[in-house]
Amino acid sequence: MRLRTFAILGVTGVLLAAAPLLAHHSFAAEYDAKKPIELKGTITKVDWMNPHVYFYIDVKDDSGKIANWAFEMGPPRLLERGGWKKSTMKEGDEVIVSGTLAKDGGKHGNARSVTLANTGQKLGGASSEGTIP
Amino acid sequence: MRNREIVGLAAVATAALIFSFAAPSFGQEPSQNPGALAAKGKGKGKGKQRPPSRPTPHGPDGHVLLGPLPGEGGVWNGNAGATIATNVGRGLDNNLVNLPTNLKIPDVPFQDWARALYDSRQANNTADDPHVRCKSSGGPRLYHTPYGFEIVDIPELERIYIMGVGGPHTWRVVYMDGRERPKDIDPSFHGYSIGHWEGEKLVVETTNYNQRFWLSREGIPHTEYLKLTETFERPEYDTLRYIATIDDPGAYTKPWSGGWAIPWNPNDEMYEYVCQENNRDARHMYRGEQ
Repeated sequence: MRLRTFAILGVTGVLLAAAPLLAHHSFAAEYDAKKPIELKGTITKVDWMNPHVYFYIDVKDDSGKIANWAFEMGPPRLLERGGWKKSTMKEGDEVIVSGTLAKDGGKHGNARSVTLANTGQKLGGASSEGTIP
Repeated sequence: MRNREIVGLAAVATAALIFSFAAPSFGQEPSQNPGALAAKGKGKGKGKQRPPSRPTPHGPDGHVLLGPLPGEGGVWNGNAGATIATNVGRGLDNNLVNLPTNLKIPDVPFQDWARALYDSRQANNTADDPHVRCKSSGGPRLYHTPYGFEIVDIPELERIYIMGVGGPHTWRVVYMDGRERPKDIDPSFHGYSIGHWEGEKLVVETTNYNQRFWLSREGIPHTEYLKLTETFERPEYDTLRYIATIDDPGAYTKPWSGGWAIPWNPNDEMYEYVCQENNRDARHMYRGEQ
């Protein structure tokens, strides 16, 4: 299945359960709120752990080159309140991630929402964007 | 030493069990300030009216209960978005709670080096916060860490334990047995705390802090000269009035105070959150092009 990088046009739509939540670190120290991102890719790993859940996706660009991206979400407890389960997404699942790019220029971001491609279910990422340090 | 620790833990567990069965003796006296104490600030939350609170709960010994009533849940929310010095605009400048805050940063009596350090921490978006490295958070920093905290008073042991969720499984002990402060104690993250009751108010004095944590999330500095006096009051069931007086001649030209009205969350409880489990944030903190 061909995957493609979506244009970075900004966060669109109302993200269910994506209201800013508090993290154990400053959002602004890690992410650039002026750089929203939306990517479609295939889950390669989910670390359902504190202090923040991380998941990794393989993303294929328009030239066919695959890159692995890391995305941070809130802690498991907050995600579970928002409808997530540890088993909600697993290796091999295709997802669409809306979030914010990391400042360090790496293939890393903070997920504001994740849409499961096979069901269309969209869940908030318990992002801390919008809170002060 | 190992056996002493085990005995100590067993004593805590036993006392907690005894404590939990003491429900019939607990009472709630009428509150002098029932209603929406924390909802009338000028900042965020202005105009919101929450339901009237239950009155201040008391234990069998007459002291204010700083946790849930037996048989109930709940946890102090932790004002994770707040700052210790400047509460203006965040819904906490509530004259009914009468916090000695609403300072502007220039009003904080920093020594020059301390102000420079504070400014540096702010300029870096608090990227160097030890808490992000899963270091334990002492002093006020514990109370505006995300996901809440609980205060467990065990009168039988003459100790109060304060436990926080959003850190490296953090707890501190406050000795309530009237002991003298020992000499030659090594500095630590939570220092050495001795408390007493002044009527409805718990007063805790702590010294012997190390410098390996920030005093607050926004980067308020301190030194090993810090003497911290904290007061905990519960003017109604749903509000904890926390005030920290910072007396640190190593960093400030005179003592100063800050604090919060911390809301009670009846719909949550303590849960396991071990910051060290998979902490990847420290390596991602960005300080500009290096």
